[in-house]
Amino acid sequence: MAFFLQYAWLIPVLPLLGCALITFTPLRQSKAASGWTAIVLMGVAALLAVGLLAASAQGHTLYQGQVGQLEVASPADGNAEAYAQPFQFPEPNLVQRFAWAPMGDSVFSMGFYVDTPVAALLAMVTITSFCIHLFSLGYMAANPRQSRFFSFISLFTAAMLLMSMADNLLLFFMAWEVMGLCSYLLIGFLYERPQAYRAAVKAFITTRIGDVLLLLGLVYLYTQAGSLAFGNGPGEIFDPELLQRLGSETGFLGLSHATVIALLIFAGTVGKSAQFPLHVWLPDAMEGPTPVSALIHAATMVSAGVFLVARTFPIFTADDGTALLVVSIIGAFTALFAATIAVAQYDIKRILAYSTLSQLGFMVAVLGIGGWVAGMFHLLTHAFFKALLFLGSGSIIHAMEATPKIAALHHKDEYAAQQTAQDIRNMGGLRTRLPWTFWTYTMGFLALAGVVPFAGFWSKDEILADAFKGGHWVVFTVLALAAFLTAFYMTRQWYLVFFGAYRGDTPVVYQNPERAAHSHHAHGHADHGHEHDDHGHGHMNTGAHWHEDPRMIAPLVILASFAVTAGMFNLPFGGPIGHWLSDIWGQKAVAFSFLVAGISLLIAFGGIAAGWALYSKAFSRADERDPLDLRAPALFKLLHEKYRIDELYQATVIRTTALLALAWAWLDRNVVDRIVNGVGSVTMGVGKVNFIVDDTLFNDGPDAVADGTVATGKRTRRIQTGKAQDYLVYVFGGALVLALLWLYVL
Amino acid sequence: MDLPNYLMAAPDGIPWLTLLLLSPLVGVLLVGLAALLRLDDRVVRLGVTAWMGVPLALAALVWARFDPSLTAAGQGVVQLVEKFPWINAIRVDYFLGVDGLSLPLVLLTVVMAPVAALASWDIRERVKVHYALLLMLQTAMLGFFLALDFFFFFIFWEFSLVPAYFLIQSWGRENRHYAAFKFFVYTMAGSVGLLLLFQVIYLAMRQVGVPTFDLIDLGRVGRGLPVEGVTGNLREILFGYMEHLGVTNVLGRYPLLYTSIAFWAIFIAFAVKLAVWPFHTWLPDAYCEAPIAGSILLSAVMSKMGAYGMLRLMLPLVPDASQYFAPVMGGLALVGIVAGAFGALANIGGDIKRLIAYTSINHMGYVMLAIAAAAALPGGATQDSRAIALNGAMMQLVAHGLSTGALFYLAGALYARTGSWSLSDFGGLRVVAPTFAGVMGAAMFANLGLPGLAGFVGEFFIFRGAWATLPLFTALATIGLVVTALALLLMFQRLFLGPLNEEWRTMPDLRPLELGTMLPILALLLILGVYPAPLMGMANAAATELVAVFQHILT
Repeated sequence: MAFFLQYAWLIPVLPLLGCALITFTPLRQSKAASGWTAIVLMGVAALLAVGLLAASAQGHTLYQGQVGQLEVASPADGNAEAYAQPFQFPEPNLVQRFAWAPMGDSVFSMGFYVDTPVAALLAMVTITSFCIHLFSLGYMAANPRQSRFFSFISLFTAAMLLMSMADNLLLFFMAWEVMGLCSYLLIGFLYERPQAYRAAVKAFITTRIGDVLLLLGLVYLYTQAGSLAFGNGPGEIFDPELLQRLGSETGFLGLSHATVIALLIFAGTVGKSAQFPLHVWLPDAMEGPTPVSALIHAATMVSAGVFLVARTFPIFTADDGTALLVVSIIGAFTALFAATIAVAQYDIKRILAYSTLSQLGFMVAVLGIGGWVAGMFHLLTHAFFKALLFLGSGSIIHAMEATPKIAALHHKDEYAAQQTAQDIRNMGGLRTRLPWTFWTYTMGFLALAGVVPFAGFWSKDEILADAFKGGHWVVFTVLALAAFLTAFYMTRQWYLVFFGAYRGDTPVVYQNPERAAHSHHAHGHADHGHEHDDHGHGHMNTGAHWHEDPRMIAPLVILASFAVTAGMFNLPFGGPIGHWLSDIWGQKAVAFSFLVAGISLLIAFGGIAAGWALYSKAFSRADERDPLDLRAPALFKLLHEKYRIDELYQATVIRTTALLALAWAWLDRNVVDRIVNGVGSVTMGVGKVNFIVDDTLFNDGPDAVADGTVATGKRTRRIQTGKAQDYLVYVFGGALVLALLWLYVL
Repeated sequence: MDLPNYLMAAPDGIPWLTLLLLSPLVGVLLVGLAALLRLDDRVVRLGVTAWMGVPLALAALVWARFDPSLTAAGQGVVQLVEKFPWINAIRVDYFLGVDGLSLPLVLLTVVMAPVAALASWDIRERVKVHYALLLMLQTAMLGFFLALDFFFFFIFWEFSLVPAYFLIQSWGRENRHYAAFKFFVYTMAGSVGLLLLFQVIYLAMRQVGVPTFDLIDLGRVGRGLPVEGVTGNLREILFGYMEHLGVTNVLGRYPLLYTSIAFWAIFIAFAVKLAVWPFHTWLPDAYCEAPIAGSILLSAVMSKMGAYGMLRLMLPLVPDASQYFAPVMGGLALVGIVAGAFGALANIGGDIKRLIAYTSINHMGYVMLAIAAAAALPGGATQDSRAIALNGAMMQLVAHGLSTGALFYLAGALYARTGSWSLSDFGGLRVVAPTFAGVMGAAMFANLGLPGLAGFVGEFFIFRGAWATLPLFTALATIGLVVTALALLLMFQRLFLGPLNEEWRTMPDLRPLELGTMLPILALLLILGVYPAPLMGMANAAATELVAVFQHILT
């Protein structure tokens, strides 16, 4: 067991090594070699992470490096109202630190800090990422840049792992930003497409807005605490005395230090976990290949935001509750807000994207009401079933693209073909055509909808129970409503995809606005950029050839098994495995309540029933209108257009930025520089007078060379007309004079 | 000459710094020799590039002999000192030395000069002169960072303009005459006050019996640290001299007034060089119009001379006025940060060099902010906070030098392939030049401060240090972080992403020589980003001692 602690550093290093190997060695020339390198290294990392989790759960510890100041407080004693109590981290199992940079008289240390929640997160990330790697082997096989893809997703995972293991907020932030880079690279992976690179820039910049606020939060905290290291000891950021002081002293705007710091940190979460109002990048991130969506939405990036709040939770609880109130409001609002949008989308990935937003809202909201374990629990279970759903949707899209109508379109407009393949109106009846996908997808669907005994039920139930028991009625109501909508829109999607008649023979074809702009074939079709081309199953022949790639089915099965079972880590009962996470994480869970569980189930079944009732008769043809659209067209349009938030930002923030850029450029050219040139001209005028005087008086003097340091205007004008070689003579002359002077003086 | 304990000669008695300083000059002579022998231009460019290895090696030896942890008598120990009288009549010494503030910049100079030489590979006209000018420019910059007597310091300062001027003037673009002239005159005009000030300081020091141009001693007197033969600090000495001249009867008996005048004389000289708003307008023109080697050296090294001058002269000599005007400096820094960022954004459809130039204004704004923050009123800030700000500034100077140098180099390589500077002429180049895109992407992300690369370390510690004294300016400066990132990403997008502009279908990818030039730079950025201790450790002790004076209210 000590082995797993000692070599925990390998967990992020192995995928990083994979990235380096694929990028810098000839491995990159072989798709299979690069793919398997990444997969094997990821698999080893997963084994190490599971070992580390086991070692941590058994209470093994290892402290190395400058950890003399580490003082570990014992976890809080059991308390029925523990969710309302200030949270205290469990004892860390692994702390390794080394000196990184000198800071005046102190030193900034870097290293690893692993406790059981981190170990659980590492296990989740490595397992899901392993599945995503494996899936990509089949899914990206036709892409000429598949090697690069593996290099990027390995780096992405490495960054997430490093972030989880960071022993301080700076390293956390560094890894966090590297994830931002990877998301930029991966969302824009199909960079010939304007939609893709725009989405990539949008993702990077939107999250960076949150990131710079987070950076300020770190800077603020660092200034106050003198450190960014995790831990309860003196000189570490969760030192009780420090937190006490941060919570009581006033910082800015009448808020305490702790409130301001916590809100700045939370801004980072809002960006990264795509909470309202910085949520706009995440649905657009669907422009990346589907495994990327799975990676971003499940295993890495968006989880990072929630994990940030969880990791710095003591700071959120150090103030009078203002920070957590904001957190819960934003979370609950996003949960409902995104769920309503998801109801009116047709794109299979976009529905899942909004569902991610919504589920992240659940996690953030429950953190906001103090439910630390519930939030982390949902983070873990959600990662499994959301990765499953995304990869499943990938399998569906992969199959859809091979259908004759879409394959024919593919040769005309790749992007439109892909969008058409993702439209759930064009699917239907895939249950029998893609049986493996159907069954695994159904597991994910039931887990997300919150049906007992799938993983999502247990974690969502715990969230609702926390809200219910804590008397947070507003949060409870909003989340319950969002949970209802979740079950509803997932049923809508599930039904339209897998049941009814297949509608893809007369699909609703996506109209590509970019195509209207470039009528010619600008995409360099012949030699690059074919994501899904050449499936090798003669897709031009018949529509009957449905095929599921085993390399894509295997990861679905692995993830489905977790979607079914992941809930058992924290079953709300006694017994050997009941409350396991709560116990090892040191926050006593609320007792199981049949009332809440009943409500929760009622909501889930209600949503499913409503969805079934509404959609089992709808869409006999692809171009029919949605039943909701028929009943409330204005509302449906608003939801379909995502409340027009993108348009609002376009009209305000983006336009202001562009105007400011123009304004500054104008100011530089027409004011600042004009002053400079004005001063210059006046001086030149004076110089001209001086020149005449000089010319008449001293022109023939032997000192014409030596006065070089004095007359700027005169001199430079002469220089301008001459050849450079002549003037080198002057420079040499000057050097010579200096040399003589030196000799003479000595 | 007996040295006080804060100066330390080389233990082995070898004049390392003189050798370092002379090595590029010897290169100039060799170029002259090559001209006499009528050697082929290709020999010259190869020879000069190889010769630049000599200063590089000497600087590495200097680094190996430098102990960054030494402090004595309230300052970092100046090491490898060579000091002997030069012009006795005005007490000018030949005085060279390095400390933690100058050594990083010396190293930056010797690293970037070969890059500039390699960037001049495609020069076809007057090749020998071009390379001779590069070597001279290198000499001047090294001299500026090494000289510790004002006489030599100023000579090198002014002398550096000459080769830079000719580089722009003779090998630049259409508007080169205007740009070169503006660059030259602006810097020179800005430093007139500095020159006059030191005449006054010299006279004032003579008044108390210790006439000197010794920058280390003057810095010590400025901070009130003991110097042999001197009583009182520079502020009292200046005031006494003004009293003696009777100026105080006219302008008033306010000691701060006279140090303030001194402050502005120093500040403006160096603010012009550092391109602090509103003294920045020469910069886009000069960077833009210069040949690529000129752009690289101007942006990567010469602009750093301004920051170094502030650290070497402004903070130590007039700490009281620096503290008093710190909010002004911080405000200008903030405006520069925002102006640079939006200026860059305004150029996303225009000239790639101009865009990079504006991001330089933005990045140097952070350095200015750090310097202002290090000097600002206490307000509960610890000495560590100030030292962190300066450490961050040093890191930022080096990181920006490397990354901007790389960006200019690549922009030049792009121009050599396509004959265009305009960002609206490109698109989709990543398809035909994936390595080019990868290398430029790495340089760009280093430039915009991606963690893991050196730029971030600088920015983070600047923000950390500046927050302690100037929180409002620091908070607003984050606008620059977002907008610069946007501008650079859009630049990258317009060059490399989207549908390929068919005109460049046959554009070659990065050649081995170009890749070989860039890889060491990128490697340095990565190493310093992952493990900054070697560089930050170099500056830390000197910076910590330098800011001690600001822990008190000086006005």
